[in-house]
Amino acid sequence: MGLGTFIIRRVLLLIPTLIGVTILIFAVTMLLSPIQRAALYVRSPQQIRELPNIAAQYGLYDPAYVQYFRWLQQVLSGNLGFSITTNDLVLNQLLIRFPRTAEIVLPSIPLIIIIGIYLGVKSAVHRDHIIDHSTRFLAIFGWSLPTFWLAIMLLAIFYGYLGWFPPGTSGRPLGGAAVEFVTSSGSGWHTYTGFYTIDGLLNGQPWITLDAIKHLVLPTMTLVIINIALIIRIMRSSMLEALGKNYIITAKAKGLRNKEVINTHARRNALIPVITMSGLLTAGLLTGVIITETIFSIDGLGRMAANAALSRGVPDIPAVLGFALFACIVYVGANLVVDILYAYIDPRIRLG
Amino acid sequence: MNIRNRLRTFKKEIEPQWKESKFTLHQIRKSPLSVIGIIIIVAFAIIAILAPTIAPPVGRDPFMVWKDGYFLTPQPPGSPVTRNTIAIRIGWTTHIFGTTGGEVGQVDIYYGCIWGTITAFRIGITVTVISLILGVAVGLIAGYYGGAVDELMMRFTDIIFAFPGLILAMALVMTMPPTLAIDAFFWIILAIAFIAFTIIGGRILKVSSGISLLLGVAGSAIIGVIYIYALNSPSLWTQIFPLNNLDKSLIALTIVGWPGDARLIRSEVLRVKQEDYIEAAKVSGCSDLRIILRHILPNAMYPILITASLGLGGIVLTAAALSFLGIGSPLGYADWGQMISFARSYVNIGMTYWWTFFIPGIFIFLFVLGWNLLGDAFRDVLDPTLRRR
Repeated sequence: MGLGTFIIRRVLLLIPTLIGVTILIFAVTMLLSPIQRAALYVRSPQQIRELPNIAAQYGLYDPAYVQYFRWLQQVLSGNLGFSITTNDLVLNQLLIRFPRTAEIVLPSIPLIIIIGIYLGVKSAVHRDHIIDHSTRFLAIFGWSLPTFWLAIMLLAIFYGYLGWFPPGTSGRPLGGAAVEFVTSSGSGWHTYTGFYTIDGLLNGQPWITLDAIKHLVLPTMTLVIINIALIIRIMRSSMLEALGKNYIITAKAKGLRNKEVINTHARRNALIPVITMSGLLTAGLLTGVIITETIFSIDGLGRMAANAALSRGVPDIPAVLGFALFACIVYVGANLVVDILYAYIDPRIRLG
Repeated sequence: MNIRNRLRTFKKEIEPQWKESKFTLHQIRKSPLSVIGIIIIVAFAIIAILAPTIAPPVGRDPFMVWKDGYFLTPQPPGSPVTRNTIAIRIGWTTHIFGTTGGEVGQVDIYYGCIWGTITAFRIGITVTVISLILGVAVGLIAGYYGGAVDELMMRFTDIIFAFPGLILAMALVMTMPPTLAIDAFFWIILAIAFIAFTIIGGRILKVSSGISLLLGVAGSAIIGVIYIYALNSPSLWTQIFPLNNLDKSLIALTIVGWPGDARLIRSEVLRVKQEDYIEAAKVSGCSDLRIILRHILPNAMYPILITASLGLGGIVLTAAALSFLGIGSPLGYADWGQMISFARSYVNIGMTYWWTFFIPGIFIFLFVLGWNLLGDAFRDVLDPTLRRR
C-alpha cells in the first residue's frame, strides 16, 4: 500500500468517528429541557425572554433524530449558536480565542519534547543509577501536581512575592498599558495573527512582544512541569527496549563508540513512540488548558468552556458544545497527522 | 501420616507462588520509591480512619466543614477559635492550619483537610473500582471474541477519547438531573434486556453459558443506564434518589474513565491470547469462561493493577479540578479542591495568606504522589516480563 492510499483510507475511517462524536455531543444536549436548549437559537441577549416561543418555533419538541439532522446541518453551515457568557456568537469566540490558547501551548510543546527526550535518554542509559531514580522521581513529582495548585503557587511566588511575571489583564496575556494600546482605535494596532508576540513585531511595537512574553512565562512553565513526565516515561521505556535489541549489540561489537551507539542507533529507533505521544499531547493541551487559563486570566478556549459550564440560570450550552466540537476535531486531526507521520517514518506500518 | 502427607503436597503446590511472593516483597523493599509510596498511602489511610478522633465533628453532618464566624481575612495557623461556641465546647481551641473562605465564612482548614482525606479515598476508590469492573467485563469480551463486538467497542471508546476528559465531565455534571428516578418499568426493562442479551449470547453468538450470562449483565446494565437517563417524567412506583454534585461528579468521572480501562484490558487480552498455554487450554477442552477467568485474567492482572493505581491519582486530580471550578462537591463540603478554590482571591497578594492554598494543595499532591509512586513501582516490581532483567 502506498502512502497515498494509506492516507485516503485513514481519512475515510475518520468519518464514522466524527459522526459518533456529533451524536454524543447531541445526546448530551438532549438531556436538557427544550426551553434550555432554545438558547442555542438565540441571536441576541434581548431574545432570552422569549425562550418558550423560540423552542416551539425551532421545533425543539420534535423527535430526536429530526432534531439531530437539523442541528448537524446548522453546524456544517458554521452556525454554532450564541453564547450567553461571552455575549457573542460561538464561532466568533472560537476564532478570537484560539490564538490565545495556542500562544500558551505552542511554546511549551518544543520545551516538553526536547527536555523530555533528553531526560528520558539519560534515564534509560543510566538505568537504576542515581540519575535514573532522580529523573523518574521528578517526572512522577510533576505528574502528581494538581495543575491549579502549581499555577497558584507559581503565581503567588513569581507575581505576588517577586513581582516578575504577572497574570493577564482583561483576558489577554498583556499588562494594563499594552491592553489599552491594543484596544484603543487611535493606536493603529492591527491584528494579523492574534498572537500578541508576533503581532507586536508586525506592528512595529516590540515592547508589546516583550510584555506578552513576560505574561506567557508562567503558563508555559506550568504546562512544561506537569506534562514533561509523559515524554520522559515513554522515551525511557522505548529507549530501554531499543538498547536491548540485537542491532545495538552488533553496533557495539563493530567497535563503535558508546556515544555513537546511543545517539544514532538506539535513540533514532526509540523516537517513534515519542512522535505519537507528542501529537496527542499537542491536541490534549490545545483543548485542555482550562485550569491554566482560568488562573492566569487568559481568555482562551478552555476558559470559555469553563465559564460556560459554570454559568447559573440559563446554561450556556452553545459555548460548551462549540468547544467540544472544536476539541474533537483537533483530537481527531492530531490522530490523523500522527498516523500519517508514523506511516511515513516507519514503512512497516503502511506495508504490513 | 495422612495429614503430614497432605501438608507436604500442599507445600509443594504453593512453593512457586510462595517463592514469587517472597521475590516480589524483596523487589518492593529494594525500590525506595515504592516504599515511599506505600508509606504515604498508609499514612493517609490512618488519617481517614482516625478522622473522628483527631478532628471531632462539630455539626450534624461530619463532612460539612465547621466555620468560625465571618472575618474579612483568613486567620493564620495557630490562631484561637473565637466565635463558634459549639466547636469550643467540643474542645477545639486553635485553628491548627488556620482558616480560609470569604463570603461563606471562615472555614477551618485542618478539619477540611482531615475529612477531605475520606472524600478523596471515596472518590478515587469508587470511580476506579466501578470503571475497572465495567472495563474488565467489556475489555475481556471484546478482546477474546473480537469481530463486531470488538469493532463497536473500539469506535465507542474513540468517541469518548475525542473529548477532553475534564470538559466531558463538566458537561455531564452540568446536564445531569438533580434526582435519579427509578420506576417499575425500569425493573421490567432490565429483566427483558437481561434475558434478551443472554439469549443472544447463547443462541446467536454461540458462546458458553457463563459468558452469555456476563453479556446479559453488561448489556442490561447499559440499557438500564440509558433508561434512567431518558426517563424524565414520573410514572408507576417512581422512587426518587437525590443526587448532589459529588454523586454527579462520581458518575461523570466513571463515564469518562471506563473506556480507557476497557481499551487497556482489551490490548492485554489480545497479547495473552496468542500465548501457547491458551492454545493448550483450548485443545484440552476448557470452556471459554474457564479460559477467560483462569488463564487470561490472571495473566493480564498486573497491568490492570498498575493502571488502577496510576488512574486513582488521576481521578482524584480531576475531581479536585472539578471542585476547584465550583461544580465538584457541595459548598462547604470537606474537599481539598474546594479548599483551594476558596484561596483564589488571596493569590495575587503573594505569600501573605500562604496557608490557604499551600496546605490543602500539599494534601492533594501527596495523595496523588503516593498512588503514582506505587503504580510506577508496581510496573517494575510486578510485571513478570520486566522484573527478571
